Amino acid sequence: MAQGPASRQETRAPEPAALEDVQRLAPVLDILPDAILIARADGCIVLANQRAEALFGYPPGGLLGHSVEELVPARYRQAHVAHRAGYHRRPQVRLMGERRELWALRADGSEFPAEISLSPLEGGRLVVSAVRDVSERRRIQEALERRTQELARSNAELEQFAYVASHDLQEPLRMVASYAQLLERRYGERLDEDAREFIRYMVEGARRMRDLINDLLDYSRVGRRGRPFARVALDRVLEEVLAALEPAVTETGARITWDPLPELWADEAQMRQLFQNLLSNAIKFRGQEPPRVHVGARREGPGWRISVEDNGIGIDPQYAERIFLLFQRLHTQREYPGTGIGLAICKKIVERHGGRIWVDTQRRYGAAFHLVLPERPPEPAEEAVP
Amino acid sequence: MTAAAVEILLVEDNPADVRLTREALREGAGGLRHRLHVVEDGVQALAFLRREAGYWEVPRPDLILLDLNLPRKDGREVLQEIKADPELRSIPVVVLTTSRSEEDVLRSYQLHANCYVTKPVDLDQFLEVVRRIEAFWLGVARLPSP
Repeated sequence: MAQGPASRQETRAPEPAALEDVQRLAPVLDILPDAILIARADGCIVLANQRAEALFGYPPGGLLGHSVEELVPARYRQAHVAHRAGYHRRPQVRLMGERRELWALRADGSEFPAEISLSPLEGGRLVVSAVRDVSERRRIQEALERRTQELARSNAELEQFAYVASHDLQEPLRMVASYAQLLERRYGERLDEDAREFIRYMVEGARRMRDLINDLLDYSRVGRRGRPFARVALDRVLEEVLAALEPAVTETGARITWDPLPELWADEAQMRQLFQNLLSNAIKFRGQEPPRVHVGARREGPGWRISVEDNGIGIDPQYAERIFLLFQRLHTQREYPGTGIGLAICKKIVERHGGRIWVDTQRRYGAAFHLVLPERPPEPAEEAVP
Repeated sequence: MTAAAVEILLVEDNPADVRLTREALREGAGGLRHRLHVVEDGVQALAFLRREAGYWEVPRPDLILLDLNLPRKDGREVLQEIKADPELRSIPVVVLTTSRSEEDVLRSYQLHANCYVTKPVDLDQFLEVVRRIEAFWLGVARLPSP
């Protein structure tokens, strides 16, 4: 059992008048969200607000005259008495339980993690304690730590997967493709048309799988191999992308126009990939007319809104979400070849930059992609995970 | 290069891949006479190079084609041991692997690989790669005399 009020040493008992002053505060203390206890130097509780009674599970007035040690689990009581004595030698405002775990004991014997701040009153003859139940915060913290560990583990698994995809899956694939080709090369003339057609499908299947694996690797690299952000002039990025797309532009007779583009903090290589994917899509999914593409830019909030609009075949609004998922395609290989990775990569890049991307579903012709990028995004978190 | 046959050591555990490299060398051999020696893992590779048990009579290779993922002792360890050995380090090592992993590329060069090549899935490209390796290392580059 606790050392009750019997263990008091009344060397520095407060003046009765001071106690009355303090008790006059009671109605004020009752409206506070924290549990407030006022105790004498010997630990005897002289005032407790309603929240304190509720938190510790005592009836109204039930804490008065008890020692604060009764609110401490038995295993910590000895230490608490020593702490209390130490505090009274050098009374000052301070916070307990911030760094170390502090436990409090309810009337029914149950415990809760607590954060306690102390403040001397009446020249140290009284001590005010504000007690807060931090179970919820502790629970959230623990959940967060668990999540962080899970994330680190799943990132490690992804790395492992990326390696497996880049090596172990490619190897058997190469064998299938290469020997099918060798067969055709050496024996093609001795085979009939059917056999050659079968071989062609084998080779095509293997090539397609190679493309999928490589795209998957590119996708996983957006998070794993991103570089730290630096100042990037999007104008220059766009020029480079247009240079790279020159053959497609010439072939299709595309006309590409653009607004002056901003400078912002970003991963330059990923910005290049983002524009490359959006512009090549705009050219690829063209209608009967030669493609016309406009890249727009305007300020929006603390960042920039960039849009890429075209006069192509457009996107059925019902697929507005799906197109950003991995390997989702709306057309056959024959109509528009590809693996369906481009927009998934765009989305991952934009999100790594703290922005968002969506497709305009209100348009009556062509497609319009919009993205909002912050001027200076927070450094991405995923690289911090070991 | 003189008219003497060029000795190539291929370290590769997949027989299908060995055959493919053999075919590629046969198709691509630009007038160069070569002899292909094949070992299946890292332990055998080092035994071959040091002419240890079972490999008393083998020639010193002019070029090593090294896969990275091998049983027992993998290509990275083999590379490290070759480049740490004063007797062997002057033999050019071409890492020839399926891995596109940037880690593997960087690590191989850090271990002083002379060149890193990813094997293409496509046969024609693979033949071309082997032809170019041969043309460069055995035709263009000047190698130390054994």
